[in-house]
Parts: sequence; C-alpha cells; structure tokens
Amino acid sequence: MVDEEKLQELKERIQSAKVTNKTQQKRKKESGAGFGFKISTEIIAALVVGVGIGLIVDKYLGTKPFGLIIFFIFGALAGFLNVYRVMRRIEKQ
Amino acid sequence: MAAKGEKHSPLEQFEIIPFTKTEIAGYDISFTNSSLSMIITVAVITLFLTLTVNTRSLVPTRMQLISELMYNFVAQLLSDTVGDNGKKYFPFVFSLFMFVLIGNMVGMIPYQFTFTSHIIVTFALASVVFIGVTILGFVNHGIKFFTFFYIPGVPFYMHPLLIPIEVISYLSRPISLSVRLFANMLAGHTLLKVFAGFVVAMPFFTGALPLVFIVALTGLEILIAFLQAYVFAILTCLYINDAYHLH
Repeated sequence: MVDEEKLQELKERIQSAKVTNKTQQKRKKESGAGFGFKISTEIIAALVVGVGIGLIVDKYLGTKPFGLIIFFIFGALAGFLNVYRVMRRIEKQ
Repeated sequence: MAAKGEKHSPLEQFEIIPFTKTEIAGYDISFTNSSLSMIITVAVITLFLTLTVNTRSLVPTRMQLISELMYNFVAQLLSDTVGDNGKKYFPFVFSLFMFVLIGNMVGMIPYQFTFTSHIIVTFALASVVFIGVTILGFVNHGIKFFTFFYIPGVPFYMHPLLIPIEVISYLSRPISLSVRLFANMLAGHTLLKVFAGFVVAMPFFTGALPLVFIVALTGLEILIAFLQAYVFAILTCLYINDAYHLH
C-alpha cells in the first residue's frame, strides 16, 4: 500500500518536472549581439564567395571589371537570401 | 608602454608557438601549442566519456548523468532535424559537437590556448561538413542533386538570376559556419584580455570595477562557448537534412 502511494507521488513529480522542462525550453532566447553576429556573418560569407568568384572569372576570362561587379551583386543578393532563410528558420521555432 | 621585449597585447594569447621544428615534404607540421590544446581536448573527452559510463549503473551517478545528457542532447537534435535518417550520422555530429564544446571549454582555462579562435581550424571543420554533405547529396540523389539550385514555381526568366544566387548561397555555407565560431571565440577572448588590462591600468581601487566585469564576462563566455558548439552541431544537422530532402 505504501509503495503504491509512493509510486503515485513519484509519477506526479515526474509529470510536473516534464512540464517545467518544456516551458523552460520554450523560453530559450538569444541575446541581441548573438543575433546580430549570426546575420552579419551570413551576409559577409556570401559577399566573400561572390567577390572570390568574380575575381577568378576576371582572371581567367579577362573581363577585368565586369566579372567582379556582376558577382559582387550576386553575392550581395545571396547574402540577403541567407538572411531571409535564417529569419524563416527562427520564426518556425 | 611596455618595456622592450615584453608583450602585453590582448592578441598575444592567439600566438602559435611551435614546440618542435618538423617539416615533411615542404609542409610545416611542427607540434605547436594549438596541437597540444587539441590533444588535451581529445584526451579530456575520451577519459571523461569512458570513465563516467564505465560503471554502467541503471541508476546513474552524477557524472554518468552528464555523459548521458550530452548523448541525449545530440541524439535529440539529430532526430528533431533529420529524422530517422539521422541515426547514421550520430557518431560524426557527436564527435564534432564534443570537440568544439570541450575545445571552447578548455580554452576558458587561464593560460590555456583556444584552438577554435583560429579560422584555419574552424574552416577545416566546416570544410569537412561541407564536402561530406555535398558528397552525401550526390550519393542520395545522383545528378538530380543539381535541382537543389533550381527553385520551382518561379517565372522561367528569373532562373539565370536565381541559380547563381543559389550557388553562391550554397558555397557560402562553410564560410559562415567557420567565421561564426571563430569570430565569437576571438572577440570574447580579446575582450576578456582588454578588460584584464584595465584592472592593472586603473588607479587606486577603481581597478576592482573591471575585475567584477571580467567575472561576469567569463560567465557569458562559457555560455557562448556552449552556444557556438550547439550552433555548429545544429547547422551540421540541417545541412545533412538538406542532402536528404532537396528543398
């Protein structure tokens, strides 16, 4: 009899612990600086790749300024796309 | 300000000091403080995980609980993002997560080198993920993997514009992955050292103020060390998921 009561009590405790655990997980938030870091690295990374491709294209095709200009713009757009994807991923959570 | 020969730069901590001078086929493979730090990290992980799980008791001790928590954490992460396919990649993601996490934590010990604050280390880790995921995509989908860059439901004249953007976005993954970890560790450790410099430089007892700040910053740094390892692991999971489900 005593064991039954104890088990029941334990069950309730586990249940309440699970509930608090879930609410704690939901509350997890990021700091503003961390968020800014995330966004800025996405833009910078895409720009680095875009400029890199532009320079390589210029070097091997001899289209001196135009490859850089075009791929710089592509890189910037890809950066925006990255940011958009990050934002969508955050909103899903 | 410092006397000649002395160095008090906040960036001094990131200096690579070779312990041996080894060179094979023109490549410098000297054993450095960075390598030592990595070996310590791997040793700590191996010893901790094997010793704590050694007892294999059904009711875990505190230490065993920590190991099991880490295991569950990564397993949960993989099953949440990738699903059933993800089980195969558990060893890889778990090793990566533990290496970055314990590497950051070992770096938090004073006088200890932080290898994650060097971009070449994080870029190598990110490259392994990137190349592995690309190969995985080709293995799963063959030549159809290229449709990853093709967005359905867009007017046909937009594709010449969108495909290069998609390709650049894909290629930027390893860079953003590595720069995020590297920059966070570099900035945090530099900030700590700059404030440590204020403690000495400020007159009378006002130096206690930055000291209090350092204590708070150290706590924040430990949080960031964990958070960055988590971000690295979750992004790896997301990329593996992308290799399975295009779009």
